[in-house]
Amino acid sequence: MGVAASRLARAGLLIALLALWQLLSRGGHPDYILPPLDIARHFIAALGTRELYVDAAASLMRALPGFIIGTLAGILLGLGAGTRRGVDETLSPLVFLTYPVPKIVMLPLFMLWFGIGDVSKVLIIALACFYPAYINAYYGAKATPRILVWSARNMGASGAEIFRRVVLPGALPQIFAGMRVALALSFIVMFATEMINARSGLGHLIREAENSLRFDLMYVSLLTIAILGYAGDRLLRFSRRRFLPWEEGHA
Amino acid sequence: MSSQILRTKYGILLRPLVVIVIALAAWEFAARSGLWSPILFPPLAKIGHELWLFVSRPEGFAQSWTTLYRAFGGFAAAAVAGVLLGMLMGRSAFVAALLDPLFSGTYAVPKLALFPIFIFVFGLGSLSKIALIFLECLYPMTIITYHGARNVNRVLLWSASNMGASRLRTLLRVVLPATLPYIFAALRVALPVALIVAIITEMISSVDGLGYLVTYSLSSLKTDRMLALVVVISLLGLALDRALVALRNRLVYWEKLDTYYV
Repeated sequence: MGVAASRLARAGLLIALLALWQLLSRGGHPDYILPPLDIARHFIAALGTRELYVDAAASLMRALPGFIIGTLAGILLGLGAGTRRGVDETLSPLVFLTYPVPKIVMLPLFMLWFGIGDVSKVLIIALACFYPAYINAYYGAKATPRILVWSARNMGASGAEIFRRVVLPGALPQIFAGMRVALALSFIVMFATEMINARSGLGHLIREAENSLRFDLMYVSLLTIAILGYAGDRLLRFSRRRFLPWEEGHA
Repeated sequence: MSSQILRTKYGILLRPLVVIVIALAAWEFAARSGLWSPILFPPLAKIGHELWLFVSRPEGFAQSWTTLYRAFGGFAAAAVAGVLLGMLMGRSAFVAALLDPLFSGTYAVPKLALFPIFIFVFGLGSLSKIALIFLECLYPMTIITYHGARNVNRVLLWSASNMGASRLRTLLRVVLPATLPYIFAALRVALPVALIVAIITEMISSVDGLGYLVTYSLSSLKTDRMLALVVVISLLGLALDRALVALRNRLVYWEKLDTYYV
């Protein structure tokens, strides 16, 4: 199948699904399932209000700092563990041991220590993002072919130079894969913390809408978070293509 | 001298142990220093006591079972559906062209946002939670299985068809075993996700389960009980992961496990 043809087929499938949904809901639908055209109408109406932007901004102000802190710490420590044996032996067993532990259970604890405001939310998001970033950076650095390191050393490269010119470029694809997982996680955890306890944000909006049976607002919040998540993922993939022009096509 | 001990074989086990002991000691110090309220840092003995209370009563097991039942229900359904979908996508270009954009397009969208709608559709009980766990686990299951089924060694496929194997037989005897390591990698990603989503949904809206108990003990300021629950949940996550790895090593005995992600 050609690229254009498969794109056309996808668009056709999407439109057909939406049209089917719209048609099915014509014959009466429960209150909580809105037809797509109604959702679009409510969404466009909400785009004209201030509240949606305030909530979206509040959500992003939690997810993004958490994502940045968590992935940065994870990448740095992961690269450290992948290149230094001392760091590896101290840190990696702990990280792999606690990896399957649901990090969200720490939220109540963080709320006690850091208050119920944004700090505890940002920190729990950072904690969740740390793991995929660490594990991927670690394996990325560990997978550096020895021959490359040896030849670089033979040609007189210093330790720092080897790290910057050999280890880091080799680990970048893995690092990006980790960042992609971490970004999706940051949105999930952000939404979870806001649904559990918050006074603003998209998760708070959807809870309020649920409690007051405002189904239109529920779908507006849902669509907004979907668009934000999708846009973040696209942005990451775009920057990956810029940083890694030699790695094409892998998703 | 100490650096020599740390270099030996046991040193590899010793070092993380040292970190854990230091962390626990720091905790106990914070608890006894009187600088913070015992609500913020309950002493280890009190947490241990609550832990004992939880394990020694049948109610603790009932609540753990509620959470595990939800997590397993969604996880098992997603495992079956995800493996089927992933194999189909991996072996048929048409299905892949149809579903791949759907999965990769909605991958970064938090499915948790659907939970309020699921509550209206499936009710407040376990079903809405299981449905959400299913949806969240379906993504890693499908994507990783697809990845594995697509990368089956072509020579193996050619020889199978050369020897007259039917499509179904090739699928069962060649593609499935070749994809098995990927399937286990997918299961290993999805299992913690199942537990996390079970806990989150119980924290958001529930009257039972471990997630509910955590929020309940926090709102009644029983932080020692809350921390005991955190320990229980962590141990559950750890035990499930270990069990899965043990199962994997029995079934996929020809390949050593050394990566956590594909």
